[in-house]
Amino acid sequence: MDEKKKKLLIADDEENILILYKLEFEEEGYEVLTAPSALEALKLIDSEKPDLLIMDICMPEMDGIEALGKILSKNNKLPVILNSAYSSYKDNFMSWCANAYVVKSSDLTELKETVTRVLKEAGRN
Amino acid sequence: MSGINLSRDVLTMILAGGQGQRLYPLTKHRSKPAVPFGGIYRIIDFTLSNCINSKLFRIFLLTQYKSYSLEKHINLGWSYLFRSELSEFIYTVPPQQRLADNWYTGTADAIFQNIYLLEMIRPKYLLILSGDHIYKMNYARLLDFHVDTGSDLTIACQRVPLNEARKFGVMSIDGDKRVISFKEKPQNPDPLPDDSSSCLCNMGIYVFNTDFLVKTLGRDAKAESAHDFGKNIIPSVIPTARVRAYEFLDENRKNVQYWRDIGTLDSYYETSMDLVGVDPLFNLYDYDWPIRTFQRQLPPAKTVFGSGNYPEIPERSGIVMDSVISGGVIISGARVENSILSPRVRVNSYAYVKDSIIMNDCIIGRNAVVRNAIIDKEVIIPEGHKIGLDLENDRKFFTVTDNGIVIIPKKSPFLKEMK
Repeated sequence: MDEKKKKLLIADDEENILILYKLEFEEEGYEVLTAPSALEALKLIDSEKPDLLIMDICMPEMDGIEALGKILSKNNKLPVILNSAYSSYKDNFMSWCANAYVVKSSDLTELKETVTRVLKEAGRN
Repeated sequence: MSGINLSRDVLTMILAGGQGQRLYPLTKHRSKPAVPFGGIYRIIDFTLSNCINSKLFRIFLLTQYKSYSLEKHINLGWSYLFRSELSEFIYTVPPQQRLADNWYTGTADAIFQNIYLLEMIRPKYLLILSGDHIYKMNYARLLDFHVDTGSDLTIACQRVPLNEARKFGVMSIDGDKRVISFKEKPQNPDPLPDDSSSCLCNMGIYVFNTDFLVKTLGRDAKAESAHDFGKNIIPSVIPTARVRAYEFLDENRKNVQYWRDIGTLDSYYETSMDLVGVDPLFNLYDYDWPIRTFQRQLPPAKTVFGSGNYPEIPERSGIVMDSVISGGVIISGARVENSILSPRVRVNSYAYVKDSIIMNDCIIGRNAVVRNAIIDKEVIIPEGHKIGLDLENDRKFFTVTDNGIVIIPKKSPFLKEMK
């Protein structure tokens, strides 16, 4: 299979999450970049042009909701999956503008399925 | 009735950022909604009066270009009508650049960039208006219609003759008032089934269910789009959402419906002149639908010279005919015909003002003649000076429109060589 690997960007302030997701998604055949903050993620979006962003919401400095606004207003076609330990942000209007909202779980099945679906919907698969 | 609670369920956002380039130089120092109109009003007053008369008291005005004049007007003339104890408000909101680093790219982008205001208020329904139009409309009826028909989006529309429809968004509807097609500025507009000489045109007035709007704006933000309601949002939602058309019911109560978008200097002039007829097309004197504005305490308008000299009227008489005259105006031995004079205009002896609009604090000097002109605020026309008689000469110093109206910008100085 010569097809180029899809590039995922993971933004989360918890280092353990970044390590875990990187391992799991690399095993699924993705290229994985990580960012420890939303600001870092915004920079990587510009320089690395990932195919999809998985982003935490509760982060110091800029939170995921605010970062999503910045991404959208640039008319960025980048698909975004919000990935929070809390479901309470599902009510937030801005979070409705993400492609998906997945509540964090030790089982990554739902997140992996969502990544596949969102990439397909966005025509990146 | 719909059972809608106007004070709890509805938020109004008025797009008041219009640059009004085609109204330049009237927009040299202000945005389009702040352009003075009808002697004492500004263009925004008509939309705001409609809001108050419709009992809508939660308003954000989204401003953009040159907003100082508009903000001042809102603060002085409108803010005190809204009681914060009852959760009423009127706020002007310039672009906050919370999301984007640029100004609004389109009408839908203006709402999207202020999504946090919607988040804060969480209204069931959002009424979106434009601050650029002159008309009288009861928005409560529109909101009732929206709720009664269970629509996601309701677009206010009016019948427009086919040959004028090309500058509008034109829609066709089914028997249920459901919008089945929408074309922005079409070359060949579709006529109405019951009236082949006209078609239904978008007035730029929308009611959205808020959750539907937010989801739609989110999708639009990710799409290749001009982020404009007429160009992008409406056409994209028609196939799948419940979009209905509400036909404009005019509170002006004249034979013909009255709605004007003052797009050009000539249409500004004509719309203003609508007010000075014997039975004006647009009625400012209907106390059932009052039009409010900000006004300073001013002495009454006054004319002098002429008393005791009847029946022959001497040359130096203060005479006003077929005109709108505001507070503090003094016509001192001059003649004014078919004109609109804003507060504190002074017209001195032997001067002659005809078919003109003179804004606040202008002085028309002795023996001066002003015809077919719009004179913006604080201009002094020197003694004996003539405006509007020799358009070739006027054109050397001022804007002259296609219809031959001379526009003199605010505070223009007059020099000797202009004679």
